[in-house]
Amino acid sequence: METLLQQVINGFSLGSVYALIAVGYSLVYSILLFSNFAHGGFLVIGGYICYYTLAAVGNNIWVASLLAFLGAGVSAVLVERGAYKPIRERTNVTLYLLIASMGMSIVIENIFVVTVGGRFRALPPVIPMTPVSVFGLATTSAFDILSLVMAMIFLAGLQVFLSTTKWGLAIRAASYDLKTAGLMGVNVNKLISIVFFVAGLLAAVGGIFLSVRYTLYPQLGLITIKAFVAAVIGGLGSLPGAVVGSLILGLAEMLTAGFISSQMRDIVVFGMLVLTLLWRPTGLFGKHISEKV
Amino acid sequence: MRKILVLALLGVFAVMGLAAAAAAEDVIKIGHLAALTGDWAAYGQTEVNSAKLAVEEINAKGGVLGKKLQLVPYDFRTRPEDAVNAFRRMAENDKVVAVIGANGSGINIATAPLADKYKVPQIGTVSTNLLVTVDEKGVLHPYMFRICFTDPYQGQLIAAFSAQELKKMTAAVLWDVGSDYAQGLREFFMKYYDQYGGKVVADLGFRAGTDVDFRAQLTTIRDSKAEVLVLPNMGKEMALIMKQARELGMKDIIFVGGDGYGEFMWEIAGDAMEGSYWINHVAPEDPAMADFFKDYLKTYNDECKEFTNGVLAYDSIYWLADAITRAGKVDSTAIKDALENTVNVKLHHATMSIDPATHNPMNKTGVVLIAKDGRGQFFTKIQPE
Repeated sequence: METLLQQVINGFSLGSVYALIAVGYSLVYSILLFSNFAHGGFLVIGGYICYYTLAAVGNNIWVASLLAFLGAGVSAVLVERGAYKPIRERTNVTLYLLIASMGMSIVIENIFVVTVGGRFRALPPVIPMTPVSVFGLATTSAFDILSLVMAMIFLAGLQVFLSTTKWGLAIRAASYDLKTAGLMGVNVNKLISIVFFVAGLLAAVGGIFLSVRYTLYPQLGLITIKAFVAAVIGGLGSLPGAVVGSLILGLAEMLTAGFISSQMRDIVVFGMLVLTLLWRPTGLFGKHISEKV
Repeated sequence: MRKILVLALLGVFAVMGLAAAAAAEDVIKIGHLAALTGDWAAYGQTEVNSAKLAVEEINAKGGVLGKKLQLVPYDFRTRPEDAVNAFRRMAENDKVVAVIGANGSGINIATAPLADKYKVPQIGTVSTNLLVTVDEKGVLHPYMFRICFTDPYQGQLIAAFSAQELKKMTAAVLWDVGSDYAQGLREFFMKYYDQYGGKVVADLGFRAGTDVDFRAQLTTIRDSKAEVLVLPNMGKEMALIMKQARELGMKDIIFVGGDGYGEFMWEIAGDAMEGSYWINHVAPEDPAMADFFKDYLKTYNDECKEFTNGVLAYDSIYWLADAITRAGKVDSTAIKDALENTVNVKLHHATMSIDPATHNPMNKTGVVLIAKDGRGQFFTKIQPE
């Protein structure tokens, strides 16, 4: 029982970090209908900005986080302007965007490899990692609780932004139909920039938590593959789906590794992806295809 | 007049020939296959410097069998094809009686057929792969030896250290399922830990490169009540494992690993590294090696950073000198037999015995490092019973 509780806590803490990344994926997907594989790159950008700011300003996590959020958000907008906009202006085929995003993910990774090198970097202990006992039954670290809380705060903030602001309304409208939203007077290019900025910002939040926990290196963005799987399981384009899918995935990974076999972990994760695609291709919370077409 | 000139010339040649023959008999030539240029140049240069030091010391004490040793270094430029050519030249032109080096398994696997063909024994310095002395079918290369212990043998040392030195009888293993190295260490560890009376209570795997979160495995290990966590791996995963274990509140479990220890791990694991133990070939702080490091610094004005290569090349010469003395003659085949029959030969960094069936060192002493105060420090030496 204690073990089960411990593994469930482990699973939620892993899932909450997946959620931050998966939500960014889903947000972009809901507007432009393509999976932005460069998303992992924004995460790495956020991580490195945080790392170097911490070194420069003396372990002030607030300044470092703020700069990381802004930097990753702006890079996401620049990538969209530079690599995706010329394509989406020329064609409706989202496959080209997908290919461009794969290219950008390799470009970003290698920019870091050649400039700062492939070495593993540890962020200074700006976030407390002390073990915390949960009702005397299980142990987690202060860091895990914090990452879960921060993930919830940012996701709630996103929800508020989408449901109460004018641009939030425009984004929701665009997720139904981008063209019609444009015809209704929404500045589509500005809207897409905002979406990418928000996605980049969320990626930076995930990037900071990931690099504190797992160290920072140029290939850290690869972990977004798991977040992508979570987004698909939850239903690409659906924000609640991305969160639920991430938590399910985090739990499944931990429970498999803990109770079945640690080597079965990835088989279970990708098996779940295949089963979802077979039985419910739009995912748990996915919109019906008829709405999309 | 012409006849006299011819005779004189013949005479000169005869004298030169005799002198050459005399010189050839006065020295014992030992080849050294070393990477003096290329990626491994730092290792190779340290090896040659250290081997020269050993040769000078032995010659200063009168040499071996009344003859001086002479080191013949050849650069293999960190390339197996150059190593093969260099070995041919050492055997055919220089007529060396034995070869020491190289410092990498791939190079020695390439030169093994030549050592057998020319019947010139070769001692690998840091060649830890099993295939250096025994081919894929399990057939021994009769002329191939090594002074270092093999990778999987570290598993036995970890078992001996945990059971006999730490006296901890329950252990967990967390190993990289995608690595040959980790697989070998784990297998040997499990086998010998069992023999020493220990019990492996958890045996779990992960995949290096893709896994970064080990809390699921660590929770299982925590529930297994293991006292020791064996990490037979390479790379940053071990640092992440130690860090996450401490975060899960596993404050008493002792980490023991092989030669995968790296200074960079401190940056990742921080204080979680403190008190972990790591098995290695040699250590710069080993009291038995103090004289060597002092002489090295004095002679080359260099602190011998590649100390594993330095110590093993240095002792390779001493081992060879001992084998030639025991052989009683300067003959490659007799030296090979003497190397094969090495039993409890006292070298500087360890006492050597060779298993005639595999040509691997038997029950060789290993060094245990302890991670303390932010660096790896010499803790003790161990030799399994």
